[in-house]
Amino acid sequence: MPDNAPKPGVYVWDAPTRLFHWSIVVLIFVSWLSADQGYMKVHLWSGLTLLVLLLFRIGWGFAGATTARFSNFLHSPGRVMAYVKTVLGGERQLHAGHNPAGGLMVAVLLLALLAQALTGLVANDGLKFSGPLALQVSVDQSDQLTQIHGAIFNFMLVLIWLHLVAIGFYLLVKGENLVGPMVTGKKHHAHVPEGVALVFTRPVIALALLALSAACAAWILL
Amino acid sequence: MSRAKGYLPAWLYLACVVLVTGLGIAGAMALRPAFANSVKEFFGLQAAPVAAPSSFYLTRVAPLFEAHCASCHGERRQKAALRLDSVAFALRGGRHGAVIQPGDVKNSELMHRITLPPSDDRAMPPEGKTPLSPDDVTVIRLWIAGGASPAMLATAIKGAPRLVREVAIPTLDAEAARRQRQVLAPDVERLSRRYPGLLTYESRNSAGLELNAALSGHAFGDEDLKAFTPLFSRLVRLDLSNTAVTDASARLLAAMPSLRSVRLTNSKAGDDVIAALASLKSLKSLTVTGSKISQQALSQLRSHGVVIYGDGDAR
Amino acid sequence: MAMSDMHSPFVERCKLEADNRRQFLSWGMGGLGAFFLNAAMAAPAPKPGASALQIKRDPSTPLTPLPPPFAPKARRVIYLHMGGSPSQLDLFDYKPELIKYNGRDCPDALLKGKRFAFITGIPKLMGTLFPFHQTGKSGAWMSDRLPHLEKHIDDLCIIKSMRTDQFNHAPAQLLMQTGDARVGHASLGSWVSYGLGTQNQNLPGFIVMISSTSTVANAGKPLWGSGFLPSVYQGVQCRAAGEPVLYLDNPKGVSRAQRRQVLDAVDEINRDTYRQFGNPETVARIAQYEMAYRMQMEASDAMDISREPKQVLARYGAEPGKTSFANNCLVARRLAERGVRFIQLYHWGWDSHGTPVDQGVNVGLADNCRATDQATAALLADLKSSGLLEDTLVVWGGEFGRTPMQENRGGQEMKYIGRDHHPQAFSIWLAGGGIKGGMSHGATDDLGYEVVRDPVEVRDLHASMLYLLGFDYRSFSYPYQGLDQKLTGVKPARIVSDILA
Repeated sequence: MPDNAPKPGVYVWDAPTRLFHWSIVVLIFVSWLSADQGYMKVHLWSGLTLLVLLLFRIGWGFAGATTARFSNFLHSPGRVMAYVKTVLGGERQLHAGHNPAGGLMVAVLLLALLAQALTGLVANDGLKFSGPLALQVSVDQSDQLTQIHGAIFNFMLVLIWLHLVAIGFYLLVKGENLVGPMVTGKKHHAHVPEGVALVFTRPVIALALLALSAACAAWILL
Repeated sequence: MSRAKGYLPAWLYLACVVLVTGLGIAGAMALRPAFANSVKEFFGLQAAPVAAPSSFYLTRVAPLFEAHCASCHGERRQKAALRLDSVAFALRGGRHGAVIQPGDVKNSELMHRITLPPSDDRAMPPEGKTPLSPDDVTVIRLWIAGGASPAMLATAIKGAPRLVREVAIPTLDAEAARRQRQVLAPDVERLSRRYPGLLTYESRNSAGLELNAALSGHAFGDEDLKAFTPLFSRLVRLDLSNTAVTDASARLLAAMPSLRSVRLTNSKAGDDVIAALASLKSLKSLTVTGSKISQQALSQLRSHGVVIYGDGDAR
Repeated sequence: MAMSDMHSPFVERCKLEADNRRQFLSWGMGGLGAFFLNAAMAAPAPKPGASALQIKRDPSTPLTPLPPPFAPKARRVIYLHMGGSPSQLDLFDYKPELIKYNGRDCPDALLKGKRFAFITGIPKLMGTLFPFHQTGKSGAWMSDRLPHLEKHIDDLCIIKSMRTDQFNHAPAQLLMQTGDARVGHASLGSWVSYGLGTQNQNLPGFIVMISSTSTVANAGKPLWGSGFLPSVYQGVQCRAAGEPVLYLDNPKGVSRAQRRQVLDAVDEINRDTYRQFGNPETVARIAQYEMAYRMQMEASDAMDISREPKQVLARYGAEPGKTSFANNCLVARRLAERGVRFIQLYHWGWDSHGTPVDQGVNVGLADNCRATDQATAALLADLKSSGLLEDTLVVWGGEFGRTPMQENRGGQEMKYIGRDHHPQAFSIWLAGGGIKGGMSHGATDDLGYEVVRDPVEVRDLHASMLYLLGFDYRSFSYPYQGLDQKLTGVKPARIVSDILA
């Protein structure tokens, strides 16, 4: 990565958010592979972990670092459209965290993942395996939701493709590396607007939130 | 706002995306034949096979798939992404590839699964579902061995077990029956109270009525039969054995268009009643044992195709 | 139930002081009160599964006729059970190959892994002892042992591929009659009474008659018992000679009017008990008293075959006053005419092991045929001529078949010729009530050992019978012990479509 300026990068992504992001990547892959190859126990656990992490992320979206908060990157459709037009026109807008389009992507992905995890709780594979809450619904409902679980998966494949295309676009066409910052937390200073005040919540709050999410998940299941 | 500075112009990038995506899909198609078929059909490159009307598949194999497999491998559910509710889907296969290798029984996963011992976890149909009989398995084996063709005629395959007709048990539609019964229900109620035990519905599925006056014996006469007039249109069976009903009721019997079976064992009915019955289109059987009926009257009914029991010689 | 068994005067008084019951219970009479309460807790009405057929009736009239779910072909059943099991190889299943092997050692392949009731070592194959010929429009094969029945061959459907998994009498009979080889299940007749009620309320809906020279049916009364169904649906065993049911008539000096008064009083007390404790058996008991009362008038008349003209008696070979299969057949016809739903005849004596001379295939079987053939044929003829056969399902058969090998009990050659029990294949026939006549269904191998074509399990036969009566065997159930109990059991059954007209 060419880094022209001697100035250090700006710390924009906090650790919990980054950990969350890459954990999700791994977990989605594990869920996909385990379902495909029939290791349903693994699938169950990766799905449950995903659910806990999602609950955490939702909480973190209100109580976490500035760039992680929903208020920071969720914008009106009009704003998103305007941003997209700007970018396609070759212009650049600087954002500390997610840009509006990215923010929309994040929201859609999170919702899709959440729907996937929730439908997975009641899904069944017709033989020996069913989700932990499958008995709470009728057989027909479980079957329908299993179908939806499958459909959302296809939808997610498209979303992930879109996500990768967008990341690639930024990297190759616009020269803005988005992957590095999600790993190290630091964005190149040229890509960060000047004078932005970022608040970083204490890690202990993240841990507390994680514990709370785990407890919520346990409560749902038991 | 500064000018974006990247490595590739946008159009080149898009071209790369299209290329990579195309390669990805091609790869997926190679790895997952089921996906390959879906893609080909989507682009109209491949027509989904359709079973010919008198084909062995449609007459012998499809009913088996429908009865034993389609509940989990059909429209409602597609376990392992496999559908068996049409020959196209069956040949296409599922998540792990084709389950039918045309002409090759040994390597057809479907054959393997349906011939596993029932105790095996992977045996199909799974425990709890109606199993395939040995004859059913033979039929499927013959089809696959013969090339798993959607078109090959039933007559072209030799040695298939005899086709056994499955009985379709009528489903109970109580609501429909109730609606049909509604019109005459008050009369049925009233007459049932007045003549307890004589009147029953033919079945829960129908509004047809059966009148078993034989249970009352001689106490049941012409006037009593007349009392049932409101229900005549719905009477399907009438038993007047051992009753006091005479030819005076002949007119009444002519007003029972749905009547299918009449019993006149040891009754006081005579030729007039028989003549009245001759006008009934749905009458199928008549018993006249012990009643005094002439042979001409009976032969007229016989010519209508009515089965007659007894010879009409009163003893 | 325990209530009536408690003879303590204190408890009796408490029962009568109904108004003080609450007081009594609220005193908390320790164990006694708790026991009282425990016994009083009537079982809540069982809830059937969602797809089960709902049978709703007024519990005080448990046998009122009910329409079946869909239009039936049969409206009553006459089941002629040939206890001991007749030898199909000497009556219906013609095996010319077996005759060629007569006297030869039985091949190992037929013996390996099989369990026999009495055969040990290597028995000899035995062909039929009687000449077979083809008869009727359908060219059916029959031996010469049943000349009267032969006249009706075109009305019969002979199933040659019946199979069972029980090789001894009691469990096999239970399987045939109740759908399960163990005691405790409801019999065919009970199921039919439960589902259809009966037309004539003055007679039981399910009547059983036994004609036997020595033994009664091995499995005893459970064969016509109601199992888990309310006891009012059990078979009533009637005698063809003397009083149809013992102690049916009033005792000397008690008039019918007095009997009525007694019944009314007992009725009132029973109804009160029912109001208090809600046990459906109480209502069944009331219904049975009422039934017995009504039966006093009609049963004696129905069972009295001396009222039949002489030529009818001659056709059946019936002799009033004696116990015989012929008498029972004639009574069966009279009961069918009077609206009884399920009539069952048991005739023991077909167990041709060859141990005593009268149980040999050459002697005993011939005797039994002579004892039953004429009456069976007369019954069929009468049913047909009176138009009843059209909607009466007649079933004839045993509980398993007999071996193609000669029995060699203890490995010895036996004095008399016999065959051992053979569950793998046997023959029964059906007639009337929606059955296609003049045909045979299924086939066994050349030696008559295994079924090779169209096997019919006992539950398949039951499913087919229920279908002809207008029931779906899958949804016709009764909840008991957490399961929707079905006549056909838990294994999937098949309606034998080929035998349906």
